[in-house]
Amino acid sequence: MNRSISIPKFVRLGAAAAVLALAGTMAGATGAAAAGFPDQAITIVVNWPAGGGQDTAARLIADYVAKNTSVPVVVSNVTGAGGAAGIRHVAEAAPDGYTIGIMGSSFVARQYINPNATRLDQVEPLVFFGPDPGALEVRADTGIKTVKDYIDRLKAKPGSITNGNDAPGGSSYIVAALIESKFGVKMTKVPYQGYAPTVAGLLAGEVQSATLPVHQFVDQYKAGTVNILGVASDERHFLVPDVPTFKEQGFDFVAGDWRALFLPKGVPADRVKALEELFYKTMSDPAFVEAGRKAGFVVTPMHAKETAARIVETDEAIYPVLLEAGLVKTNKKQ
Amino acid sequence: MLDPFLQALADILTQPTLLALSLGGVMLGTILGALPGVSSTMALAILLPVSYPMSPEHAMVFLIAVFSASVFGGSISAILVNIPGTPGAIVTQFDGYPLARAGKAGHALSYALFASTIGGMIGLAILVVVAPIIADAAMSFRSPEFAMATVFGLTMLAYSSPGSTFRGILVGALGLLCGMVGFDALTDVPRFDFGFAFLQSGIDIVPLTVGLFGLAEVMRNLGSRQAGAEGVPAIGSILPPWRSLVRLTRPMLRGSLIGTFIGAIPAAGSAIAVAVAYAQEMRLSKTPERFGRGAPEGIAAPEAANNACVGGALVPMMTLGVPGDTMTAVLMGALLLHGLRPGPLLFAENPGFVGVIYGGLFFAVAATLACNLVLIRAIVQVMRTPMHILMIGIAALSVAGSFAIRNSINDVYIMLFFGLVGYVLGLLRLPAAPMAFGLILGPILEENVRRALIVSRGDWTVFIDRPIALVMLLLSLVALLYPVAAMGWRRLRAARNGTGRTEPLRQTDG
Repeated sequence: MNRSISIPKFVRLGAAAAVLALAGTMAGATGAAAAGFPDQAITIVVNWPAGGGQDTAARLIADYVAKNTSVPVVVSNVTGAGGAAGIRHVAEAAPDGYTIGIMGSSFVARQYINPNATRLDQVEPLVFFGPDPGALEVRADTGIKTVKDYIDRLKAKPGSITNGNDAPGGSSYIVAALIESKFGVKMTKVPYQGYAPTVAGLLAGEVQSATLPVHQFVDQYKAGTVNILGVASDERHFLVPDVPTFKEQGFDFVAGDWRALFLPKGVPADRVKALEELFYKTMSDPAFVEAGRKAGFVVTPMHAKETAARIVETDEAIYPVLLEAGLVKTNKKQ
Repeated sequence: MLDPFLQALADILTQPTLLALSLGGVMLGTILGALPGVSSTMALAILLPVSYPMSPEHAMVFLIAVFSASVFGGSISAILVNIPGTPGAIVTQFDGYPLARAGKAGHALSYALFASTIGGMIGLAILVVVAPIIADAAMSFRSPEFAMATVFGLTMLAYSSPGSTFRGILVGALGLLCGMVGFDALTDVPRFDFGFAFLQSGIDIVPLTVGLFGLAEVMRNLGSRQAGAEGVPAIGSILPPWRSLVRLTRPMLRGSLIGTFIGAIPAAGSAIAVAVAYAQEMRLSKTPERFGRGAPEGIAAPEAANNACVGGALVPMMTLGVPGDTMTAVLMGALLLHGLRPGPLLFAENPGFVGVIYGGLFFAVAATLACNLVLIRAIVQVMRTPMHILMIGIAALSVAGSFAIRNSINDVYIMLFFGLVGYVLGLLRLPAAPMAFGLILGPILEENVRRALIVSRGDWTVFIDRPIALVMLLLSLVALLYPVAAMGWRRLRAARNGTGRTEPLRQTDG
């Protein structure tokens, strides 16, 4: 008796599994019957695993965009190849406006470092989410309290401070490299795979400083084990309002990561316009800005044109640094 | 710390919503964990959006239940169909699958279930009492310690895998090589991609294990003519006799302690812990030859360790705000969305919420036991499925699972490739598990060895300067050289006792 029941049970289990597991990608079937564009589910592709900053931002957007559209917006994580796989997935998707990507500043660096990475001219910037300003943190036991202390120590003894950062091309690596080239100093850059291991490295004392965004160290800063020397943006960061910017300390230095939505090239102009308005409206919503702040994000939405300009700005700032570090392997500028 | 914990527990038991969320999380976690290809991380990621509209407390109780139950769920498929549902369950199948094939699937699942419960409880108890101390210890780990802990884990694995240590190392080395495919962890330079863009993503552990164990098993069954005739193993009694569980108390306790402390090591935790727990039981056993053929200790100890890791893995996240592994990274992402930032100040500023996490975990472990005691009877019916139907199911799940992990068809090709590799390894009588562990631990080893050398400016003595690293290096050497030394010692004794006695010994060896 059990025999005849058990087989379909197992198969059903399998089917349920497949449905659950693939729900993220195959949500197209659930499209609502709205007239015109968009009339089916929109997918935001995140190129990093669930739980990371990029993923959290995308899921916030997907959550709040529901106020302004009747079609479902789902988040799908396409990971691998140091983030390049997800970007390529979007760039190669059908240009119908139903596949959107989210990118960070490392996109810009990646196109020079990895010959297989997607180039900027293969995608279409859509809406700017906000900056994730770089910052400089040191262990409190180093006795370093200001940016000037830090620079002076490195000038006196080049390479004497070990700094935890991403692998070359990652945004915290770029911040460290920019500090080096801007102030003519040399630190010992130690690569970690992502922010969490870098934090662990600083807390364990393997490195003395780090160039991560401030939200990684808010608690340690308040507890007094880590000094945040300065924030590399025009304004102070709302999470640590008592930490001065580099500029306030007399160092004209702005650097760091940012996030923006983008489309594959070739999406019809009217659809680009519709999506631009939809997401700009969503991100300008005060409730969204507040939710973003709670998660540690600075939300400053911009339209497609300004977003593209911001990307070009980043490109111009980091290209010379990459070139100098010997990291430009492809797409060399004339 | 006890008051908020008891308060949270009382909340869960008295509030129907919390109770339902926790039970629902346990059921979903068990099912998702049991599905090959859906790891604990995936289970959390799939259910993460479900938790967004909930309050932070509700979300945490739900997600912790999913996390904790998925770890046990992983051993269900490991025992029943020889595919580890989650990578931490790879060791569980060494003895779980043979036991299930011998008609004792119910026993095997029960051993795993009780060990999971004890492991989970002990891990939690230690988390509640000494979290800050463990966190300090875990945070004194720098790259040299990580590197040597990984060496130790690999050695333990080679030692414990079926067959000789030498064969284990051989296959483990192949796994290490597979781990080098993709981006170089420290320089981001693509390696071993042979010109294929998809190989730049590296080889994910899920397609590798699903292919190596799942698809290879299907191929083996296709290859053996008697497959149809072999048919369905008897199911026998579901629950093992009470005394056989009591006899496993010590292995479970040992496994739990190993799991809690090693589980707190960021990144490498559970993979090393299960290997060490298994090797430990084998070493202590008077009859080590039973291991790999269905020894209950071989299920209980690693399973206890695997579940104790849940408590251990939460330690760095709760106390320092550093997620130790991908599972806790997802949990932390969920907390951040709710505006809660785990870290050193969480205990001081929000003790009630810490209590919710502890209470949620406690209830989840208990609920996993209760639910599965009821469900085991239904679950073992899988074993009644005729072999040819079961194999079709496994093949389908293998494909779906490896696609789902990154939404990429390329991972399905990788799974097919490793299915072939697993089949060939079986023909050569080489153990497959060390390859999976090589893939998990290889990148961690390489990254940390190289980073240690960057920090030490190329000085190799960094690995013996630091006491913890030195101890682990020495332990690994002892484990490697012990069989050689023991053999030498036996020869020496045999020679001393004269040739007359060595003759029969040799005959039994051959």
